[in-house]
This record gives sequence, C-alpha cells and structure tokens, in this order.
Amino acid sequence: MVVSRLQYIRRRLLLAVPIIFFIIVLNFLLIQIAPGDAADVLAGEAGSATPEYMDQLRRKFGLDQPIYVQLLTYVSNVATFDLGFSFRHNKPVSELILSRLGPTLLLMVPVLLISVSMGILLGAIAARYLNRWQDKTISTVVVLTYATPVFWAGLMLIVLFSVKLGWFPTSGMEKIAAFHTGIARIIDIAHHMVLPVITLTLFYIALYTRLMRASVIEQNTMDYVTTARSKGLGEKRVLWGHILRNACLPVLTMAGIQAGALLGGAVVVETVFSWPGLGLLAYESLFARDLNLLLGIFFISACLVVLVNLAVDLLYASLDPRIELK
Amino acid sequence: MRDIFRRFARNIPAVFGLVILVLVMGAAFFAPAIYPQGPFEMVGKPFLEPLTDYLLGTDQLGRDLGVGLLYGARVTLQIGLISTLIAIFLGLTIGGTAGYFGGWIDTLLMRITEIFQTIPFFLFAILLVAILKPTLGSVIFAIAVVSWPPMARLVRSEFLSIRNREFVQACIVMGMGHWQIIFKHVLPNTLSPIIVTGSLMVATAILIESGLSFLGLTDPNVMSWGFIIGSGRSVLRTAWWVCAMPGIAILLTVMAINLVGEGLNDALNPRLKNI
Amino acid sequence: MLAQKIQKFMSLVFTFGLVMLMTQQVSAQAVPKASPTVTPQQGGTLVMVVQPEPPTLASFLSTAGPVGQVATKVYEGLLEYDFKLTPQPGLAKSWKVSPDGKMITFKLQENVTFHDGKPFTSADVKFTVLDVLKKSHPRGINTFRALQAIDTPDQYTAVFKMSEPAPYMLMALSGYESPMLPKHIFEAGDVTKHPNADLPIGTGPFKFVEWQKGQFMRFDKNPSYWKKGRPYLDRIVARFIADGSTRAAVLETQEAHIAGFNAVLPVDVRRLEKLNHIGMTTRGYEMQSPIVELDFNTRTKPFDDVKVRQAVAYAIDRKFVVDNIWFGFGRPATGPINSNFKANGLYTADVKNYNVTNGIEMANKLLDEAGYKRGADGVRFEITHDITPYGEEWRRFGEYVAQQLGKIGIKVTLRQEDVPAWLRRVYTNYDYQLTNNWIQTLADPVIGVHRLYHSGSIRQGTVFVNGTRWSTPETDNLMNQAAVEMNSKNRAKIYHDLQKRIVDASPIVFVHELDFVTVHNKKVQNFLVSPLGLYSTFDQAWLQK
Repeated sequence: MVVSRLQYIRRRLLLAVPIIFFIIVLNFLLIQIAPGDAADVLAGEAGSATPEYMDQLRRKFGLDQPIYVQLLTYVSNVATFDLGFSFRHNKPVSELILSRLGPTLLLMVPVLLISVSMGILLGAIAARYLNRWQDKTISTVVVLTYATPVFWAGLMLIVLFSVKLGWFPTSGMEKIAAFHTGIARIIDIAHHMVLPVITLTLFYIALYTRLMRASVIEQNTMDYVTTARSKGLGEKRVLWGHILRNACLPVLTMAGIQAGALLGGAVVVETVFSWPGLGLLAYESLFARDLNLLLGIFFISACLVVLVNLAVDLLYASLDPRIELK
Repeated sequence: MRDIFRRFARNIPAVFGLVILVLVMGAAFFAPAIYPQGPFEMVGKPFLEPLTDYLLGTDQLGRDLGVGLLYGARVTLQIGLISTLIAIFLGLTIGGTAGYFGGWIDTLLMRITEIFQTIPFFLFAILLVAILKPTLGSVIFAIAVVSWPPMARLVRSEFLSIRNREFVQACIVMGMGHWQIIFKHVLPNTLSPIIVTGSLMVATAILIESGLSFLGLTDPNVMSWGFIIGSGRSVLRTAWWVCAMPGIAILLTVMAINLVGEGLNDALNPRLKNI
Repeated sequence: MLAQKIQKFMSLVFTFGLVMLMTQQVSAQAVPKASPTVTPQQGGTLVMVVQPEPPTLASFLSTAGPVGQVATKVYEGLLEYDFKLTPQPGLAKSWKVSPDGKMITFKLQENVTFHDGKPFTSADVKFTVLDVLKKSHPRGINTFRALQAIDTPDQYTAVFKMSEPAPYMLMALSGYESPMLPKHIFEAGDVTKHPNADLPIGTGPFKFVEWQKGQFMRFDKNPSYWKKGRPYLDRIVARFIADGSTRAAVLETQEAHIAGFNAVLPVDVRRLEKLNHIGMTTRGYEMQSPIVELDFNTRTKPFDDVKVRQAVAYAIDRKFVVDNIWFGFGRPATGPINSNFKANGLYTADVKNYNVTNGIEMANKLLDEAGYKRGADGVRFEITHDITPYGEEWRRFGEYVAQQLGKIGIKVTLRQEDVPAWLRRVYTNYDYQLTNNWIQTLADPVIGVHRLYHSGSIRQGTVFVNGTRWSTPETDNLMNQAAVEMNSKNRAKIYHDLQKRIVDASPIVFVHELDFVTVHNKKVQNFLVSPLGLYSTFDQAWLQK
C-alpha cells in the first residue's frame, strides 16, 4: 500500500516513539546495575563526606526514591522534552548538550562531507580502472587506513605534526588564552580542526571508497548498463551519469548510519585531541554516574538516528523511482 | 568448491592476507609453548629499545614486548572470534526468524533490531563494559551486543529473498517441516554473504576492542594488543615502541582479515567484469 | 585518575605543635611581604593546566582538589601561611588568642571590597563560617565544631567564641580551606543550590569571568584588589585537557605555563625537565604528604593473619616501584607517618624494616609458618587485588604486585572498576581482600593519620577512613594521648611507639611517599610563595616577557 509522503513521515515518527522509549528504559536500567551513584562520586572527590552529607546529596539528586519512581519521573519529563538537571555540572542537561553540540558538529560534519565525497570519487576511480594500477594503489592505501586504529593514527599525527613540526596545535578547539573573536576565531578553530578531522576522515574515506567501488562493480553487471552500452551511448559521460546515481545509494545509506552515530562516535578522537564534544561528555557522565546527562545524550542521539534514517529513506525514494514508500 | 579455491588462490592480496593470518594464528597457538612464563613476567630492564637485548624491546615494567605480542595475538583473536560468533548466532537467529516467518514476528524482531541500531554503538559498548566491570567476558559480550544488528539485517533480507523462491515454495507445498527447509535449503544458500560479512566483523571487533582498551576498559589480567597500547599510551613520547608495535600488529591483522574477506567475496561471487 | 584522587584530603587543618598555638598572640604586618629579587613585570595571561576539570567552583561545598586550584584565585581567607607553617595575615590583619584559648579576636583589613563593589566586613565572616562552613563544608563541620558564636562589635572586628580550645582551627583559615563569601549574595536562597556557586564573587586578586565546560575557566585581574599594585597578571586561564600526553605537549609547545598535582604525568616530567624553558618543583605540597599503600581487609581470610600481611610487605621492592612506576618521584616509605615529619621529631625510621634485599625469601618463610603451604602448582592461595581507579600508574602498580605475589605463591586476579564502584566496594561493602590506595597524611598526624588506624574511624559508608578495620586498644590509647599531649618531646615518643606497633601489625603495606610535581615554564615567577603552592591566590605571580 503506497502512501503519501506526509503520511509516511507521520507513521515513521510515531513508530519511533516506542523505540526511543525502549532505549531510555534499557539504558536507565543498565546504569542501575552499576554499583555506586553520583553521591559516591562526589564523596570520593570531596574526600571527606560523612554518611549524613551523602544522604543529603542523594535527597537533592532524587536518588533516594525507589527505582520505578525515578524511571517514571524521568520518562514523563522527557516526554515534555525536559531532559533534567545535571547535578555534577550544575546545569540543565539540555543546556550542556547544546553547548557541546557545536564542537561535535564542527568535527563530524566536515568529516562526513569530505569522506563521502572523496569516498565516492576514489571508489568510482578504482572501479573504473579495475585491477589496474589506480585501483591497486587506491585499494591498498584504503585497506591500510581502514585497518589503522583511529586513536593510534591520532597520536601519531600529534607527535609528527604538532610536536615535531609544530604546524598544528596539539589539542583543544581553540587557543585558550587568546580569546579571539570574529574572523580570527574562525581561523583559530579551523587550525585546531585540521588534525582531528584528518584522523577521523582517514578511516571513513576508506570505508566509503570500498563501498563505492563494490557498488559500482555491482552496477556494472546490471541489465540497464548492458542495454545502455549496446545502445552505443558514450561510455564515459552518460554511463557515469547512470551508474553513479545508483551506485551512490549504498554509500548514502552508510553515510546515513554514520550521521546517526555522529554524536557518540568520536569518543576516542575527542579524548586524544581533547575536543569538547558530546562523546567525551557522555563518557565522563558515565563515570560520574550523572544519569540525567548520560540518558539525555542517548536520547538526543536516538532522535537524531531516527530523523536521519527517515531523511535517507526519503532521499532514496526521490532518487530511485522504483522505490515506494510503504 | 575447487573453483572457489582456485579463484581465491589467484587473488594475490587475498593470499597475502591469508599468510599473515596464518602467522598470527600460529603465534596465538604456539605462544604458551615458546614462552610458558607468560607475558606479564618482568624479565628485563624497563624501556629497553627494540633490537637491543629483546627483539621488540621492553615496556614500563620490563616485560618483553615480543612475548606480549605473541600472547596478545591469542587474546585479541579470541575476543574477535568469540564475539563475532556470538554476534553471528544472534544475527542468524533473530534475522533468520524474521525473514523466514515474516508477518508480526518480522515486525517485532526488526523493531528490536532497530532499537539496538539506534543506540550509538561505541558509547553503548563503553556503557556495558563499565557496568559489568572490565573483564574478558564483559568485553566479548559488549562487542557482540553492538555487532549483531547489521548481521541480523543481512540474514533477514537473504532469508526473505530465498524463502520467496520457487523451490522453497515447492518444499512447503510438499509438506516439509520448517526446520528442514531452513537447514537444508535456505541456510546453505545464504552462507556466502554471512561468511564474508562475518569475517569482516572479526576485524571490526578487534578495532572496537583496541578502542575500548585505549580508554582503559580492558581486563587487567589478560594482555591483548589493545591492552599493550593502552599501557604504552602515557609513555608514547619516550617509548614509542610500546604503542607502535601492537598498533602495527592490529593494523596487519585487520588488513589481513579484510583482504581475506574480500578475496572470499570475490571467490564466492564471481561477477567481476571489466568495465 | 591520579589527580582526582590526589585532591581527596586537601586540608589545611594541621597542628604543628599544639603548645605553640595554644597561647600564641600574634600581631602581624598589614600585608605579607613579597620577596622578588627582580622587579615583577605587569601583564600577561597565565595558562594553567588543571586535571581533572573541577566539578564546581563552590570551594565552600567541595574539597575536591582541582576546585582548590581555581577557586583560590577568586576567594581569600582570613589567614595565609609561610613555609614554616606559621599563620600570616590575610583578610585578617591581626588576631589575638585569649589565654584560655577559647576566644580569638580577628581584626580585619579595611577597605576591602568584593568583586561587585560591596565592602567586606565582619558580617561576611560571621555568615561564611557559621552559616556556610560549619554547616555544609565537608571538613568545616568538624573543624568548627567547637565554635559556638561569632561576635561582630564593629564592621572590622570578628570575635570567635569556642566551647573549648581548638588550636587546629587557626590552621584552617586559608582561602582554600575557608573562603570568605559575600553575605549579601549567598544569604538569599539555599547555599547548597545557589546560582552563584559557579559564578563566584570574592575578594581575591582575580575575578571570575567565564567557564566553558570541558574547555577552560577564565579569571581576569581585579582592578580594585585591596593589595595595591597587585596582582601582576592580567588574566589566568585554567585549561582542561583529558589526555595525559596532550597535557605534556601543551607545556612543551608553551601553549600552557604551569601544571601541578601531576597533571603532567611523571614519565613526561622526566622528559620535559630536560628542556630549557621548563622548570620543575616538588615543593608547594608540604601540607599533603601522600603515601602510596596496599590496604588489607584485616577481618577476612587470608589477611586476618599478621604473618600473611607481613609476607606481602616483604615481597614488594619499593625502589623498583618508585623508579619505574613513578619515575623516581618519591622515596620508599617506612611507616604510617611521612618522613616530612623528621623536622618536628614525630617521625622515626626505627621500625620493622620490610624493605630488605631478601624480601622474597622472608615472605616465603612467613607464609610457610602461617600454614599456607604451596600446592602442586606452586600456589598457596588465590586473592583478588583491586586497583584504585585513578590512572595508569595504579594499573602498572597492580600488575607489579600481582607478579611479585606470584613469586611467593599467591595467585592474584586483578580487578578494575570505576570510582563510585570502587569506593562502594572498599568503604561501604568492605568487599575486598587487597587494594592499592593512597592517602594524604596531611600536616599533622591527628588529622591525617589517626583516621586510618583508630577504632573510632571505622565508619561504614564514609570514604577514606579506617577501611582495613584494624585497631587495637593500645594504639587507640596512644593516639588519644598524642592528640592532647602538649610537650613536643613526649608527643614524639608517643608517636614513635605508635609507628612501631602499626608497622609490626602491618594492616597496611607502606610502599612509598609520593612526590607531587609542578611543571612550569621558567617565565612564570613567584607562583610558589607558600606551602599551599597552587592553592594560593597567585597575587604575586608574574610572567617574564
């Protein structure tokens, strides 16, 4: 049963609600398994907390309530888009997430754009010159970069380009003490972005190149290509117009998945480069037992995945008329 | 069968990858025989450079890095293989059931799969290991849990397409039981994409494990390659070899697995045509 | 992380000779003398690396270490201290202790203003100490327990009235331990949930400007600071960097100027100190005196047997640990009291020595005597060893201990958890056998040491107290006596006896005395002006251009 686009969107969004609900409940329950709570963490840091002080903290955080009450409170708050308060950072969770969202996007969007476009390009070239030197070179380099652990690549890049050569800063998003504004700030941030973006891009380019290459090879076997060739269509131009459009689809799906995983995916790079993104925030919140913050990040991340998947499916449908929205 | 082997053998990168894998597995297998004292033994002066007293140098506690790499092969492969096997099993069960039976079973199982695919996988892995305390078991479990959804999707679509083929319809009409149909007819035909995807999953598992180790989430009693990198992270500038060597080991192994996986793919699905 | 744990017991409460303080009457200069031999240059931004990021700026609510490094630039205390650990004037320009010790009259500095322009008066002192510190500060609750009232006859006089003499209280009045808060801001609302907790307004040389979580805090020069001509710096920026090697790198590339409390890992310190522009010091931590130790659970097998505990103490090569795991920063420990106390005679090295060359042999003998014979596989028994979750060096330490104990027939399984889980396990559930740990012994044994061995300190659910649950009536008695003994020679004798007994019973293996390191760019001058080190206001610090 084919439906209109609007109906489709509405249906998908409605279906997403139970999924996101499940994710929150699952993670909430999982965290309960971990021994110790936020009061323990703060007590550990403060160094001299008495049981009374810790009870006081627990009351303040609402941790003295039975678990099902805590869960109910949290879920009903999320339903009204109130993500709660982070007691560790003393700020509303939504504010915290928003403040770290910028840096995360600054990292992930360039990575996504560069790796997808370069991946499509290199994959197409490799497939075009299948088994010739272009293909062999690209494929070899790609396998190597894919296999390199991301954090290792990051550390090596820092050692070479920051410490030895001094071309790029070692860490952070901007030069702290300078307090640039305007253009100077943009340039400064861009300067800091180079190494972390390169580190992540290396891996993803490899991924998309391989995907694209395999996809183009597969498209080559399709009937419509044989038909087009036998019709005498100019090999390079028109064929590429046809093949590319179809071969891109799996790459776009993958990119969609990556975009969805955007928020938490860069924990390792953020750690190495001290990039103040959401991945690092989530990691820290786990060890601080900052429930609201951790769940908030998972929630936002899940919402993003749902939206991106929806967008990709809609894009598919518009690119490939054979696909129907059901 | 013989065709498959022949196609594979002609693929030089794949053979190269296979050789490396055999070496790695050999190291894993023979490590306890060659160095029974284990990789944690403090045998020499700390921070000896490679090619001095010890081939690959020593780490902060004076442990032989070469022995560490050999034992690390064991642990790393163990983690990679077992977690992948579990993920494949989960994927097969869930995806297969969904694809074969269809209907509400399919919808339900796919919703569940969607849930797990919607959670950011690396964060979830960190969460699981941290909660369950970092041990060999919890790391394997965490990697398996975040890896099965893509396999489930693959199996489902394969089962779905095969189930709708005529010969399967014929079996159903003949009154053959579901289990028989699945094991005799459907499964064997889906084997090749599962094998290929599964082999690539081992590589991903190894990369995830090294990422977790880097963040400190590793079993302190077992020396995996990721563990060695984690231990060498703070001394990267003074004793680069502690990070570099296992990093290279991971690189080679993951690369080898990928080459073999692609070789398998090409051998099992010979649809290559020159443009 | 190590630094996080380091900050546990930051306390300025120490008694350095009760007799000196009981009847001391001090009249002091209006402003502590700065002693640069070169003229300080004005201007510049000092970049400090603080690890980990402080959870809050409310130093009146949290004694977490990193808080002390930043909040002390904004808030000040009634007193400051010199390297002889003698109180110096701070916001109090003079003070008098009554002969019976129950009353202290503080005369405050005049014409001091808070960062919002309002004046600092005795009303602020009364509010801060009675309404905030005594009620909600983790240590203040105890420090000010004897304090009953504060009279404020005029705006520059505060009279502390105690129910009994409390000489240690005079040591707890630094800007770190007892920051003076503006009453007009904090009296409205709940101080434990106050919006100004992270928007501090104090009297200090620097004003809080901005805190970008995960990145930095910024403090600008206070133009109306009461010490004329100070501070010299225009700005202080505290930077938070998660990765250890990166922290070292920013000092190397001169993006940052100073990092203390081992924010730069010891291994990197060794590398950085060879550079021309880098200086390093282990001073400025005299009030901490940390000791690295192995804690036993003395109530369960196998460590309820003193012979087994002694065997473990013999098995550790302390020099190896210091040299290879802590890169030489420290020295082998002998007992529960840090050798820093040699200065006042409280320390003695005349105790049972476990740091011998035939340690393994001795350990094996003891275990045989204790009845734990080796099995066919050479193993006597198995244990689980918990690793304190504060950083890489503790993991290496755990791995080392596992190997050494393997040599004497104890099979060790290592366990690693995160902070809250570990704290719960050790201090609430007592569900451990052996754990590594480190404790600050602070500036007087009464504060830092008694809480680890006294039976009264066995408090389930309270962290960093007597977690081994070991105690004896004899040692309890000794500690009770030492707390009130006025004669320093007698006091030393009591503590010598105490050390001997504790070391014999070995409820804790004393591994080594830890040295904290401050790595700094040589351009930074005058940051080390008191034993508080990085916990001082930096009003005298300046940057050479």
